[in-house]
Amino acid sequence: MRNLTFKQISLCLIVLILVALFPLAFSKPFPQHVMILVFMFGMMAVAWNIMGGYAGMFSFGQVAFFGIGAYTSSFLLITYHVNPWLGLVVGGLIAALVAAAIGYPCSNLRGHYFAIASIAFGEIVRTHFNNWKLIGAAEGMTLPMMKESFENFMFHSSKLPYYYIMLAFLIISLIVCYFVATSKMGYYFRAIKESHDVAKVLGVNVVWYRLIAIMISAFLTAMAGTFYAQYVLYLDPESVLILPISVQVVLISMLGGAGSIMGPVIGAAILMPVSEITRVMLGHKGTGIDMLIYGALITLISVYQPKGVWGLFSGIGKRTK
Amino acid sequence: MGTKKLWVVIISFLLVLSLSVYVHAQPKVIKIGAIYPLTGNLATTGLDCKRGVEMAVEIINGKYDLSLPLAKTEGLPNLGGAKIEIIFADSKGDPKNGMAEAERLVTQEKVVAVIGAYQSAVTKTASQATERLKIPYVCSDSTSPTLTERGFKYFFRAECTDTIFAKNQFEFLEDIKKKTKSKIDSVALLYENTEWGANVGKEEQKYAKEFKYKVAADIPYSQNATDVSSEAGVLMKNKPDVLLHASYITDAILYTKTFKELGFSPKGFLTMAGYLEPGYLATVKGDGNNMIVRSTFALDLAKRKPLVAQVNDLYKRKYGMEMSGNAARSFTAPFVVAEAINRAKSTEAEAVTKALMGTNIPGDQIINPWKGIKFDPQTHQNIYATGILVQIQGEQYHTVWPFDMASKDVVWPFPGWKK
Amino acid sequence: MADQLVQQIVNGLLIGFIYSLIAIGLTLIWGVMNIVNFAHGDFLMLGMFTSFWLYTLYGVDPLFSIPVCTALLFILGLLIYRFIVSKVMKGPMLAQLVVTFGVSIFLANLAVFLWSPDFRLIEKPLLHGTWDIGDIKLSIPKFVATIGSVIVSLFVFLFLRKTKTGKAILATEMDREAALLMGINTERINSISFALGSALVGIAGAFLSTYYYIYPQVGGTFGLIAFCVVALGGFGSIEGAFIAGIIVGLAQTLGGFFIDPAYKYAFVFLIYLITVWIRPQGLLGW
Repeated sequence: MRNLTFKQISLCLIVLILVALFPLAFSKPFPQHVMILVFMFGMMAVAWNIMGGYAGMFSFGQVAFFGIGAYTSSFLLITYHVNPWLGLVVGGLIAALVAAAIGYPCSNLRGHYFAIASIAFGEIVRTHFNNWKLIGAAEGMTLPMMKESFENFMFHSSKLPYYYIMLAFLIISLIVCYFVATSKMGYYFRAIKESHDVAKVLGVNVVWYRLIAIMISAFLTAMAGTFYAQYVLYLDPESVLILPISVQVVLISMLGGAGSIMGPVIGAAILMPVSEITRVMLGHKGTGIDMLIYGALITLISVYQPKGVWGLFSGIGKRTK
Repeated sequence: MGTKKLWVVIISFLLVLSLSVYVHAQPKVIKIGAIYPLTGNLATTGLDCKRGVEMAVEIINGKYDLSLPLAKTEGLPNLGGAKIEIIFADSKGDPKNGMAEAERLVTQEKVVAVIGAYQSAVTKTASQATERLKIPYVCSDSTSPTLTERGFKYFFRAECTDTIFAKNQFEFLEDIKKKTKSKIDSVALLYENTEWGANVGKEEQKYAKEFKYKVAADIPYSQNATDVSSEAGVLMKNKPDVLLHASYITDAILYTKTFKELGFSPKGFLTMAGYLEPGYLATVKGDGNNMIVRSTFALDLAKRKPLVAQVNDLYKRKYGMEMSGNAARSFTAPFVVAEAINRAKSTEAEAVTKALMGTNIPGDQIINPWKGIKFDPQTHQNIYATGILVQIQGEQYHTVWPFDMASKDVVWPFPGWKK
Repeated sequence: MADQLVQQIVNGLLIGFIYSLIAIGLTLIWGVMNIVNFAHGDFLMLGMFTSFWLYTLYGVDPLFSIPVCTALLFILGLLIYRFIVSKVMKGPMLAQLVVTFGVSIFLANLAVFLWSPDFRLIEKPLLHGTWDIGDIKLSIPKFVATIGSVIVSLFVFLFLRKTKTGKAILATEMDREAALLMGINTERINSISFALGSALVGIAGAFLSTYYYIYPQVGGTFGLIAFCVVALGGFGSIEGAFIAGIIVGLAQTLGGFFIDPAYKYAFVFLIYLITVWIRPQGLLGW
């Protein structure tokens, strides 16, 4: 991607202003909650995109980093009264370290093997946390209700602070993605994605760059995890370490357009409201119709618009296989 | 238009206006939110709970000659016969959905109270939301003790806790030891490794120590397993006298089949939750015989309390099946809420909460085997909630403990598996 | 203790052979088309439901419903390939990965919609009960499933090596371009492989339904393990999937028995990870 054109920048600004004004126009908690989910999953999808869409490593194990982030900051808060913002950074760093540790031996796995390895990794983390007494094992952890403040990263009277914080996180992840994509690093990522061997011949340290991609992705995903913990105030392995979350992240990226910066965000902006609204309108009947629609939607998009929604708009050099 | 026609128009308009005013003066509807896992892995359970809630609402809104609060009148008499409308919400078993739905139900659907959500993790987050919004939440189907240890003002729980259930199991063992003079020294704990099961395991460990039983094995397992031979193998190796099993329905089925296959026959099976679901017996049929399950409801309570049979008849007519323990639990909450609203003569949150603090429903007006429903002023836990044990005999649930409430003698020890 | 060991080995083998049978269909599809069929577990579920409904409505024993399961799943596989999968074959890999996820979610919830989430069980299949061989208990339905798994695997093995179509499939697996050059209609091979893979897991469903409970989400549990089995054995290798299934069954049971049942699936995943680190193409893959 070249430098952004004036048109693109102004479009972004307009969207940003609309998004910022949204909760003032829609002041009920539910629409705000849906948007918060859009931002949260959007961020995770952007993080996934860095290692998946750009560097070609299709991970189905992102939830492990999400959970590590959530658990780290919550554990530090509950046991050592560490400020959650600090816990956020620690969680991100730990996730990045774990990512490197698992990423290194997996660094020469290709395509499907990597995908299954990432699932295996996610499941191992979940099983371990489910039995780890130190962090509550299967019973999970409940965050204490603290006084409402930015410093405490906790708010009770309104969702607005959560809304803007998550939006800020999303913007941060987009900026990171932008720099990754437009820098030399991004160029190397795409080279690696195209062909490991060619990249090696070109002198790219494939292993090192793969690790970087994974670590950045892990750090950002862990940030989202900490946010979740501070938002819902309860976590257990069944809510922050399960495979369906990883799958949802991949689906969102694909739907929106992997390999583009805004693609994952668009994917989240479509998929999250659709799944929330179908659940609200149809879920209570217990017939499974809402998920039926969801499944059909994913299938149709994969078949008829595999480049995602972004592919619809951009004709500029989208990579195809 | 002539003046006459104008008058006709004005009068018709006034008539229509007064008609609509009259229509509005009709009993209004009181909305209550109900959050349950209506899709996903626990869908069968969620739908079972939904049936219980709907049955309760039908009785409240209609006129029935039953000794239940508000049954004999249509709707809530102190509010002009206003009827209850339940707005169901699907949690999909996810705590974040519990939070979102509670908020949506209160702020958009304008419910005056929330009930549910079966899974303690979901009830936790949903009631956190209602506490922030200062709306009453009455839970009659989640058993985690932590729910009433939070010091919440607006949360009330009518049902037993897992602490009580775990203790019941050991009280039963003490009783059966005295009665049959059989030797029971060791127990094995087998529980689903989720928030609920793990907590049960912990409580059972605590009481095993207190009642001085050896824990021969402590086995948490992953739900929805493809195969449980290794767990069964560990149990058989350690030869416990009694097995304590806490599981949801899927694993209850698998374990029963596996235990039969491998011939695991301890002196008794004391189980929870999944074994009470209609789907369990419907699937395993005769193999479920002699399982003992903790409960707060049993159909044979009808012998002492005809109300139980009357309600079950209504339920059977409506749904074509017997009322299950789950449905019976969820059946309670709408009555507690409606009765409080009626007593408060208002749907306003503070008034209803105050009324709930003063709830004192006598034992003969509930289908549960309790002295009544009255909430502890600090914890808001129903002080009269106690558990019973039922045993499956002849593919039906019979109350076997406490012995003075039993309708049949307990079959003990476990007579082995029929071929 | 020794007889517990033998019993656990027996149990591990019994579940392992079922994993093998489920995995064979998956590895065939994967090897030929390089497509991960995430809906494989849901095809298994459909096979189980087919068997269940034939039993409940017409009293057909699961063993005799195998031909129907095979045919139905074969046709379903053909249709899904023709109208959905073939269209993404030319698209980006991500779309290929994701499309079968969509199909999986759709099928599982279609089952909920049509048949409710309730659990079903076939109470008295023709061959039921337990054999007592000394101290060892052998579940007859599981044993029958094991025999079935061996027979089916043998059949597939022979089919691939002795028949023209089978050989064409193998050739396409090994080198797609060369196969095209040799005049093999790779598109036709694709659809046959997908259909065959689906049919195979339909048979697995019929066997599984003789002793496991049947419900819409059952595909998830077995599907995930099947992926590990296939990857462990090496994509495309029937022999690999067969052996890997048994290894996974043993690992799960023995690991669960001797170390910790709570970690039994973690062992399976760990074995997968270690294997692909050492040998990235799996045990017998190419």
